[in-house]
Amino acid sequence: MKLAWQNLLHDRGRFLTTVLGVSFAAFLMVFQGSLLGGFLRAASRFIEASDFDIWITARGVQAFEFGATLEARVQELASGVPGVVETGRACMAFAVYRKPNGKQQVVALVGADPNLGKRFPIPEVAERPEDISPESVIYDESDRSVLETLSLPARVEINGHRANIDHEIRGFGGFLGVPALFTSYRNAAHDLGFPPNEGMYIVARVGKPYSVADVQQSLRQRLPEVDVLTREQFAHKSRMYWVIKTGAGSAILTAAVLGFLIGLVVVSQTIFANTMENIEEYATLKALGASRGFVARVVIMESLICGAGGTVLGLAAAIPAMRYARSLIPWIHTPSWLPVIVMVLSLLMCALASIASVRSSLAVDPGRVFRA
Amino acid sequence: MPDKFLAVEDAHVSFGNGDAQVRALRGISASFERGALSLVMGPSGSGKTTLLSLLGCLLSPDDGTVFVDGVLVNALNGEQKAALRRTKIGFVFQSFRLLHSLSALDNVCLGLEIRDPKQPERMTTARELLVHFGLGDKLNHEPDGLSPGEKQRVAIARALAGKPPILLADEPTASLDAEAGRNICQILRNQVEQHGKTVVVVSHDSRWQEYAHRTIILSDGQIKHQEQVTNS
Repeated sequence: MKLAWQNLLHDRGRFLTTVLGVSFAAFLMVFQGSLLGGFLRAASRFIEASDFDIWITARGVQAFEFGATLEARVQELASGVPGVVETGRACMAFAVYRKPNGKQQVVALVGADPNLGKRFPIPEVAERPEDISPESVIYDESDRSVLETLSLPARVEINGHRANIDHEIRGFGGFLGVPALFTSYRNAAHDLGFPPNEGMYIVARVGKPYSVADVQQSLRQRLPEVDVLTREQFAHKSRMYWVIKTGAGSAILTAAVLGFLIGLVVVSQTIFANTMENIEEYATLKALGASRGFVARVVIMESLICGAGGTVLGLAAAIPAMRYARSLIPWIHTPSWLPVIVMVLSLLMCALASIASVRSSLAVDPGRVFRA
Repeated sequence: MPDKFLAVEDAHVSFGNGDAQVRALRGISASFERGALSLVMGPSGSGKTTLLSLLGCLLSPDDGTVFVDGVLVNALNGEQKAALRRTKIGFVFQSFRLLHSLSALDNVCLGLEIRDPKQPERMTTARELLVHFGLGDKLNHEPDGLSPGEKQRVAIARALAGKPPILLADEPTASLDAEAGRNICQILRNQVEQHGKTVVVVSHDSRWQEYAHRTIILSDGQIKHQEQVTNS
């Protein structure tokens, strides 16, 4: 389809404008997609970091970050249900952190039993992973500047209780706008002031040959006053809370859709202008006997060339931009499939943008070739 | 029985409605001989171009029939007419109608691509044609870089690229100077003489009469006069 290429190259200024328009749209889709992807991941990362099959929460809890207390005896009751082979505890609440220099900062304090899972951030004792260092606290490296820990280990205070910051971890940067600190369940419950008869999240592991669904059903019957969810259900619920109910996800999604629409309009306008400018040539092609498919292919090809060129440029610009964004927004995440999706969406966008142009080029009367 | 290789029979064509209606052709019947150069002349508005549009399957008559290569065109749909143009007809236009973004070579190649997208040797064929028409040194020139005479030769090369049996030319020398015009007349005449093409030329240019085998004079959408010329 040399004609499509040559038509575009003949007006380089317009071609460049179109490619830049598409690249902007592609960039925006990657950026917003990464924000949304990161947001979704961050909204359920604590839940998914656990190895347990079932989460038991107080009735109506929407997200891990906003838990409510439940009776500690729930753990014992859950342990007695057939199929439950192990239980654990987790909690999260806001606390006041006093920095080494004496300044105060609100933090999210996350506590968990050591058996919750290898991926769950818990300050383990190096040689004995089943144990947790007493008074030990860890944080994500992205929160270093907010927490103002100049050197480690550092002695700090959480809700007036002493704590030691041992080391940093990666991948758990806070998306709540406050840094998160991770410690043992016992420390967290103590620092947050939970009474001995109260807890927040109870997790349960299901053993063979029981199915998760059956054990979930049994737990619901045994514990009618709480919510019993599989890990996937709670993760989904948490994601939906952050994305839908807070409106944050909608805002990100809207920006991504706007990016798509901007690209659609830019490409549509340019390809249409190009087609109308060359409408006499399309009439000539039809007079020479070009089939409808041939004519349509020329227009669509022009559009797809703009789409492919713009997307490649947009993705190329997105790589360093995302790297920089990650230093500012630690939870932002670009899934490996996102560039592929953006490429497909961009090409789809360009194909859609060419519809009006294809119609015009097909509608032109070939008989006009004799009207000089 | 009249030859139906290329013919119109009792063709009526009108444009517009009501008081603004113009009757471009009024029951015209004409058969164009295979392997001859026919010249259609007449004043502006006499229906010459309308007749050429009918023969080129670019217009359907309100009434009457059109035959191209023996096929009744009236019965064909748009895509079938396009296929007939693609395989049987080459067009030469007054304003050349070369694609401005393509070189001379690519313009001719495009003519071949439209006819057969899978033809592997289109570049070679197109080059040979352009060289044949004295444009060997202008292969990569875009239309803007060619003289009117050169543009018309490229257009003729494009029209001949798929070896169509019929060539329809609308005022092919109107935009050319005397020498270039004569050159085009000779090229089209040679196509008849050497390759047996059927050529129909619509023109005001009286020079064509010395190259034509037959002349049809139109007036008010009807044939006013026609004569067989013995100048071969």
